[in-house]
Amino acid sequence: MAETTNQNSNNQSGTEALLTTHVVRTVGVRKTYYRGGQPLHALQNIDFSVVRGEYVAIMGPSGSGKTTLFNMIGGLDKPNEGRVFIDEVDIAALDTFELAWLRCHKIGYIFQTFNLIPVASALDNVMLPMLFAGMTQADAQDKAVELLTKVGLGDRILHKPIQMSGGQQQRVAIARALANDPAIILADEPTGNLDVKTGRQIIELLRVINNTEEVTVITATHDHKMLSVSDRIAWIRDGQVERYQKREEIEITEGRADVIK
Amino acid sequence: MNTTSQRQNQLPLRKAAQIAWKNIRIRWWRSLLVTSGIILALAFLMYILCSDTLSRNIPHRGSTQLIEELTKQGALISTDDDSRLQTWWMVALALLISFVGILNAMVMSVTERFREIGTMKCLGALDSFIVKLYLLESIFQGCVGTLIGLGLGLGLAFLEGLSIYGAETWRLMPGATFVRLIAICLLTGVTLTILSALYPAWRAAKMQPVDAMRSEI
Repeated sequence: MAETTNQNSNNQSGTEALLTTHVVRTVGVRKTYYRGGQPLHALQNIDFSVVRGEYVAIMGPSGSGKTTLFNMIGGLDKPNEGRVFIDEVDIAALDTFELAWLRCHKIGYIFQTFNLIPVASALDNVMLPMLFAGMTQADAQDKAVELLTKVGLGDRILHKPIQMSGGQQQRVAIARALANDPAIILADEPTGNLDVKTGRQIIELLRVINNTEEVTVITATHDHKMLSVSDRIAWIRDGQVERYQKREEIEITEGRADVIK
Repeated sequence: MNTTSQRQNQLPLRKAAQIAWKNIRIRWWRSLLVTSGIILALAFLMYILCSDTLSRNIPHRGSTQLIEELTKQGALISTDDDSRLQTWWMVALALLISFVGILNAMVMSVTERFREIGTMKCLGALDSFIVKLYLLESIFQGCVGTLIGLGLGLGLAFLEGLSIYGAETWRLMPGATFVRLIAICLLTGVTLTILSALYPAWRAAKMQPVDAMRSEI
């Protein structure tokens, strides 16, 4: 892994920053789907980059291509054209084993639907990525308990997902995402299935983790509560980055989406 | 920058077995349904094989007394090729039906877990781990089902044998043949389950994580 300095370059504009500080970088990414023979340009020539330690929100209406971009960054989908670098490694060049390693060690995923393994307890869910990483059962268990305590679920480690509320499930998912000390946390609509209050708690937890664990957080969302905590916002429209906004440029009253437009 | 030299390791088989066992326990009744399909097929196969062996051995190994007795009752089972062919057709059909049944149950159980599979791949699971998980699950069910079915078929065939041939039943079933029949049944049962699990497991493993998670079941 490239050891980079310049940790506090959070607010540098993506394209001007030193390349080595980029934990995520896409170059001319295009993705076209074919629906009934009609080409659908989900992403058109996207150049997007994220600096280490940043908290970035990808915003845009449904169908704008934000989820597609998000999947590209997460190595979950491959572009038709262009390249995606994670820690300056071109993920298109990775084979299955390397890609699995990358997903396991470099990226922590958080989903709208939590996606916990239903048959496993909170503890087992958090332990799973560590076991995939080759950690021993005992070490994984210690660390899982520590992480679950950190997200405020120290007293619920043996609960099954079905015995927990949405907010608690999302906390387990966050603990699981942190399991292998990833460089990036990718959160796809992390508050989409939560009420306003719980959603705010989850957003704040992500922000705290961003600060304390020095992990880069990238969220794809249309939740405007996310705006107030993000360092930078990338507005996506019709498969293109419409504009970037830094936090200082945003004046927002919660619940008033029209203000920022 | 040595990320490219890092490759994901295989998880020990023991761990996969643990998870597979948990998956069975959580879907206990469904698993029981799959297992009972195997039990029925194997019980039928074992029963047919056994009673076929018993009746075929009467002319060679049965006492003249028994043969006379059976002929008098008209209970001497015909061992001509026609009726045997018919029996084998029935066995083949029974196995085919149970194969389709198990395949269906396996496809369903993989389909309803697409999201789980996608999640596991996001967490760093290799394709081979997913395949192992589902194969192990079906092998558990296959082994249990085969053993129970085998015992059931064997018991039925011998009970029937005892009621018709009496104590001579034991003489009609040579030890070597007995062992061979059991081997055939074990092999058939396990092959049947593995074959029916192979396709769903392979399909699950080959899926891209996004596609796996996008599917709404």
